[in-house]
Amino acid sequence: MEASEGTDDFIPAGLASLGIEADEVDLAVMAAVHQIFWPPILELLTLDTSEVVPERNPDLSQAPR
Amino acid sequence: MSAALDLSLREQAAAIAAGDVDPAELLEATLARIEQRNPALNAVVETFPERSREMLAAAPDGPLRGVPIVIKDEWPLPWRAQRFGAAELPVPTSPAESGPYLALRDAGATIVGVGNMHELGAGSTGNVSVYGPCRNPWDTERCPGGSSSGPAAAVAGRLVAGAVGADGLGSVRFPAAYCGLTGLKPTFGRSAMAGHHMALVTNLIVSGPLCADAADCRLLGSVLFGEDLAAGDAAGLRIGVVRDPVSEDVTPEVREACDAAIEDLRAETGGEVVEIALPDLEAATVAAILIINSESLNGTTVEGLNRLHPDLSPLARGTLKYRSLLPASAVVQAQRVRTLMRRRLAELFEEVDVIAWPTIPAPAPPLEVPMVELPSGTTTADQANVRGAALANLTGIPSISMPVGLSSERLPLALQLQAAWGRDELLLDTAEALERANGRRWVESKPPLAEAETTGV
Repeated sequence: MEASEGTDDFIPAGLASLGIEADEVDLAVMAAVHQIFWPPILELLTLDTSEVVPERNPDLSQAPR
Repeated sequence: MSAALDLSLREQAAAIAAGDVDPAELLEATLARIEQRNPALNAVVETFPERSREMLAAAPDGPLRGVPIVIKDEWPLPWRAQRFGAAELPVPTSPAESGPYLALRDAGATIVGVGNMHELGAGSTGNVSVYGPCRNPWDTERCPGGSSSGPAAAVAGRLVAGAVGADGLGSVRFPAAYCGLTGLKPTFGRSAMAGHHMALVTNLIVSGPLCADAADCRLLGSVLFGEDLAAGDAAGLRIGVVRDPVSEDVTPEVREACDAAIEDLRAETGGEVVEIALPDLEAATVAAILIINSESLNGTTVEGLNRLHPDLSPLARGTLKYRSLLPASAVVQAQRVRTLMRRRLAELFEEVDVIAWPTIPAPAPPLEVPMVELPSGTTTADQANVRGAALANLTGIPSISMPVGLSSERLPLALQLQAAWGRDELLLDTAEALERANGRRWVESKPPLAEAETTGV
């Protein structure tokens, strides 16, 4: 699905489900942000991380254990 | 007193300790210089001379006694709540003794002003702020970098010799790069953060020093870390370079300057350059953006989103609302990518000591249109810049940006080095080695505004 197609549903539906109000300017900004960020988010979700065992409460000050 | 104003941070500290400079005179001269130069920069958004004089009067005999410092509008002070460059924050704030404030106070420093910043910390350019855009001392029609725009412009314009910034997604390193400074993004958790409105929820944001060179960053960094960042030796440095879009999709001038700096560094340290692979850097960037965006929702309510301050920029309003729609599945995947990248880095840092690539793919863009031209095409500076910065925040490793040249338009170019967790000192050692290699040419370059003749200040 192209980001531009998804914007039509994703943003209004998401806002409505959460009860967040948005005017025309808000919607225009959100559509622009969506165009930029949604494709890489979808790409991120396709990355196979099944072999990655997540760190429990990772300590970012140190190398992973 | 004009000469004292133009000393390095460590020279100011030493001159005061030796009795060669009166810190009260230095404070007044600094305030006068801010008054003189700041209108062209909008780097300092508030001064409080009486508070500064009180700090100086009560200053202990610490490593920065009497040295004027600017702090980013990201932490509260006992007399002022942070505004985060915005008309309103998602969470309430109030004046307080923040961690960076206490570190500076206990070191004897004098906080002379609050530095401008990109609105809500959400930009690499510094051209959007409730206080108005901050300007780059190298060209006041150019972006100073963000989000620590004011601290960087204040140091580059020689209003002060050192400033405290914050780095959640490159926000110390971008303005350091655009303004020709050295900026350290510490290992996560090593530098003072208390009092930041996201301190208890973030795994990405750290405080960090912005100064002219590495030795000054070492001094101010030691204060922020609360421990001595001892000088060491970068001999035999193993420099990892990655040949992928982060390193390659940059302007020819950036590529040339960074390649030359890496070779200078190799020769100076008697080290070696090792080509390494670091897959999934783009996924790491998206992961970092997702995590910091979800962290920034802390304390945000639907009611709050429906009553945003009218003076928030349209971009901030829309972005805040968009963040609330980010899918949890993507944030969970981002956490897995973080683990993946941390493990890969742990293995890579067995092979190399530092990983080098350009801090910024192109020099500072115009304030009015912050776009950059890259080999891959024209894009926003934000989209281009974040690719090189996010990894350090995502994984917690330290990173440093240092000046390595000037473009044909006399705008700074910068190299970034990243090291393993806790090896902040090595980055400073390495930056100093590079300064030796190039004869300190770039750290001593000054923008026209800082070279300008002044009348006693």
